[in-house]
Amino acid sequence: MLNLIWLIPLLPMLGFLVNALGVWRVRDDAQRERLAGYIASGAVVLSFLVALVAFFQLGALPGEERRAGVVLWEWMGTGRFHIPFGFLFDPLSAVMVLLVTGVSSIIHIYSIGYMHGDSRVVRYFAYLNLFVAMMLCLVMADNLLLLFLGWEGVGLCSFLLIGHWYDKKEGNFGRGVATPAAAKAFIVNRIGDAAMLLAMMALFFQFETLTFFHEGAGFLETAEHMQVSSIVSFLLLIGVTGKSAQIPLFVWLPDAMAGPTPVSALIHAATMVTAGVYLIARTHVIFTDATLGWVTWVGAITALLAATAAVAQMDIKKVLAYSTVSQLGYMVAAAGMGAYAVAIFHLLTHGVFKALLFLGSGSVIHGTHETQDMRKMGGLRRHMPVTYWTYLVGAGALAGIFPLAGFWSKDEILAHAWTEGQFLIFVILVVASLATAFYMGRQIAMVFWGNQRDHTYHAHESGQMMTIPLIVLAVGSLLAGAMNLPGRHALTHWLEPVLHTHPHEFGVANWVLAMVMTLLAVGSAFVGWRYYTTNEVKIDAKVKDPLYHYTGDLWELLEEAWFFDAFYEKMAVVPGFRSLAAFLATVFDKEGIDGAVNGVGQFFTHLSSQVRSFQSGYMRTYALVFLVGVIVVVGYF
Amino acid sequence: MLMNAGIPILSIILWLPALGALLLMFVPGEQVARQRQIALIVSVVAFVLSGLLPLGFIPNAEGAAPGWTGIFGFMQQGSTATLPDMLFVDQVAWIPSFGINYLVGVDGISLWMVVLTTFLTPVALLSTWHSIKTQARAFQVLMLLLETAMLGVFVAQDLFLFYVFWEFSLVPMAFMIGIWGSGNRIYAAVKFFLYTFAGSVLMLMAIIALAIIHRNALAAEDAGFRMTFNVMRIMEDLRNGSLALDTNVARLMFGAFFLAFAIKVPMWPFHTWLPDAHVEAPTAGSVILAGVLLKMGTYGLIRFNLMLFPEVSRWAAPAIAILAIIGIIYGAIVAFAQSDMKKLVAYSSVSHMGFIVLGIFALNPEGISGAILQMVNHGLSTGALFVAVGIIYERRHTRELAEFGGLWTTMPIYGGLTLVMVLSSAGLPGLNGFVGEFTMMQGAYLSPDLGWQFLAFAVIGVILAAVYLMRMFGRAFMGPVDNPENAHLPDLDRVELASLVVPLVPIVIIGFLPNLFFAGMQGSVAEVVQHIVVGVAGQ
Repeated sequence: MLNLIWLIPLLPMLGFLVNALGVWRVRDDAQRERLAGYIASGAVVLSFLVALVAFFQLGALPGEERRAGVVLWEWMGTGRFHIPFGFLFDPLSAVMVLLVTGVSSIIHIYSIGYMHGDSRVVRYFAYLNLFVAMMLCLVMADNLLLLFLGWEGVGLCSFLLIGHWYDKKEGNFGRGVATPAAAKAFIVNRIGDAAMLLAMMALFFQFETLTFFHEGAGFLETAEHMQVSSIVSFLLLIGVTGKSAQIPLFVWLPDAMAGPTPVSALIHAATMVTAGVYLIARTHVIFTDATLGWVTWVGAITALLAATAAVAQMDIKKVLAYSTVSQLGYMVAAAGMGAYAVAIFHLLTHGVFKALLFLGSGSVIHGTHETQDMRKMGGLRRHMPVTYWTYLVGAGALAGIFPLAGFWSKDEILAHAWTEGQFLIFVILVVASLATAFYMGRQIAMVFWGNQRDHTYHAHESGQMMTIPLIVLAVGSLLAGAMNLPGRHALTHWLEPVLHTHPHEFGVANWVLAMVMTLLAVGSAFVGWRYYTTNEVKIDAKVKDPLYHYTGDLWELLEEAWFFDAFYEKMAVVPGFRSLAAFLATVFDKEGIDGAVNGVGQFFTHLSSQVRSFQSGYMRTYALVFLVGVIVVVGYF
Repeated sequence: MLMNAGIPILSIILWLPALGALLLMFVPGEQVARQRQIALIVSVVAFVLSGLLPLGFIPNAEGAAPGWTGIFGFMQQGSTATLPDMLFVDQVAWIPSFGINYLVGVDGISLWMVVLTTFLTPVALLSTWHSIKTQARAFQVLMLLLETAMLGVFVAQDLFLFYVFWEFSLVPMAFMIGIWGSGNRIYAAVKFFLYTFAGSVLMLMAIIALAIIHRNALAAEDAGFRMTFNVMRIMEDLRNGSLALDTNVARLMFGAFFLAFAIKVPMWPFHTWLPDAHVEAPTAGSVILAGVLLKMGTYGLIRFNLMLFPEVSRWAAPAIAILAIIGIIYGAIVAFAQSDMKKLVAYSSVSHMGFIVLGIFALNPEGISGAILQMVNHGLSTGALFVAVGIIYERRHTRELAEFGGLWTTMPIYGGLTLVMVLSSAGLPGLNGFVGEFTMMQGAYLSPDLGWQFLAFAVIGVILAAVYLMRMFGRAFMGPVDNPENAHLPDLDRVELASLVVPLVPIVIIGFLPNLFFAGMQGSVAEVVQHIVVGVAGQ
């Protein structure tokens, strides 16, 4: 099966083609919807099964030989520039592939229920399949340029799916309007992509190849004994801040919540946004210490700022969006501290529990007839018990409460910061995790506790198509920590041939840290829950949050996510660009350049009216001029 | 086998459209449908015939006898085998006293330009299938004449013949703008004609001067030597040292050629004729203008500036690259500010053509072959974007972005296809634009004359391309359908569908299998580069 790994991305690609070229022609609405959903889900589930087989075959090989590669054809080849179209399946790719296909399978099935009755459901499933194919291309590419194909491909699908409801005039609270959100995601990511392009060109300049591993000649292999400029890895970091929504380019992700909720779960939580973390882990050999310092700080500060922003959100999905930004910050910070395996560990657990939370919020939105404002919810645990209990598991995992998945992975990050002596980073991450627990407690209270505050809808539990995926993911969130339990560190050992990281000894200090952190998390979550259940009467869509009373205008700072977006869109970048463009187009180009051109034209028109007097009409004058001309020409040569 | 059969295949392709135009003269004026069919059939036959040309350029595994089997061999291993530099040569004396010949031939640089021309002409004919109602026969005749003129530019290997085709290509296009254009068409047609004409007059002087200097240099050794305009001969003599140009003379000539081509490309700051011409031109005119005519400029830069004046090219490369980069960024920013979709696409051409010039003046195989491929890519994607804009203009008689919104809802197939074209233009990997763009940027990065400083600015153009294209697509195709006039627009009919799907095929193929296209150019590009390197080393 290892030489058939190209089937893994091909299957969802075929699903996309069948849906995009064939299924939309089916006339009967119900049949079309069913076909689209089943074909798309089937393709991804098949891909998951192939990946599973390949995974076990890879595992059967001895540690150092665990790398399968298939080059399908030469993608580009001219002059010195040769890029293969080839896939790679090694321990790092393998875990990413399993996460992507596994979570995708669940979310595809959930989508059949969630998107029921949507007018463009075929398009939806086609895009979703295309996304999976591109994401698999990203994590399985055997060279950086093919990785970039996947990188841009998932960006495109993100754009298409954020914009799925592009024709909605006014969304619900916080949903915003899909079209600008989609365009914003595309454009902001492009900034990071441009840096990636430069980084790739620089790498090719140095190594004359963009292939990762090629019998010792891949650039990741040669780079181990070669100095690579910090600028290259810094450019990659810029790319990461785009795709993985880090400061300063994170602003597109909260807006991306305009897309359907399963999309938020799959693309904007579990898979695509983690591509940056994968990229760092994959190319960690070329990251210099100087860049890694930047990586750590970008991640840590993002983790903190986004976690505090999540505290002040009213939209159920926006809380989760900022929470995702914050958790990605943890991963990036971990990678920056050299704990690549730990970063991947958190990536995997987060992929499971954040998918669960998003799907849970989707179930809530579905069950409350498209309500997203948490102030209009309340008391839903009575109407939606499955959603409530599974959500609670996800929230516990996110908050880092023992023994749920997030506890193990987040604790390893903190432990790493502590043992590496990065105390300032450690403190930042601890504060962020307190905020995390608090906003989850707040959300649980506002959504599921108290009484329903808005009676314009009749809340109901979602159907099995949606609740079963929730249960599956909840079980996953309970158990996912087991893949890298202290002492055994199965995942770290599995990744060791690729990431070269060794597990830390888990001593008494770590146990103490773990216990303290759990207690802090529980305490903080309890405070959040307690405050918003006791102050339930003050929660009202028309007034400020109850906490505003204490924080004052600081609250707005959090609500606006530290004004990054406002700075770009309202104050500096966008208005500046618009005025520059308007000036160049209407003044400089028209009056300046074209004015000069027309001026030259008018000059000659004027001149010709003067010259006209030479056109005497006398043959002999012409003959004379002609003769002089000939003499001059002949004489010269 | 093809070349040895004695069939002048290239001349047949070249003159077939002109013959078709002649045939159209005999079709009664009122039989519009028949005229359209004849024009389309002629152009399709020309395309099919031109499909034979690449066969001559693709080496098989042994690098010997070309053929289809070679294509698969190439895809597997990426051959770099060199090939004869000029194929399908036909030669007939034309004005013997001045050494002017009808001399045509194809090498790896003209190859894909020929195929692009024969490919886009039927697409352009389809794009105005219904919209040209007045003087339809004249329109078809001009389109076919234009095709012959453009093909002539790409295959002429005699400087004088090249100049004749070059100037002749202006005439049908100027008429097309002047007769079937919209509001300000006369101004645009005159401006288009005069501006490009002014540039090429200097080129004519340089051509004549080159021929005379060449004659004088060779007559010094061989008294019986007559003048020739054969560009291959002149190039050979330049390379073997029989003809040595004074540095200043070479620079002047380089400048004369460059100005003519820079106006055609158009490079900043010679670009202002382009938006005017595009806005007024009928759709087919815009498709051909952006798709092929602009490529005549970049083609000329490679064929004449680089090949005749390698040392000067190297000397001028950084300055030209700076102009190219200004064009990339400037074109993109101004495109963003446009409210007319056609103008937006027109300015995007200024930006995209800047990339191509940057790739050419990387002066290495990666840059030049990337640039040649990107010429094809730009022809396909921008041509298709003009087709798309033309389709909506037919329905609404406006191109103002503010008039639209939600077109994707009312015209889903049209919206989907346009999106692919937009993405191709924006350089999304997996489609054609990315391959050319990245290859030539990589070339510029590797170039000792340019380097990373240039690229750091060029990639801004990549960002901005997404900005203006997404603005256009978002405004016109997404969002709610808030203008009732857009609410009941019919989706594409068969002809329109064909005119968008046909370019889509090579767009996807190039995205994944660009080596099919890189293959044919390797030999010729390597030769160009080799002489730049040797020429400079010899100084």
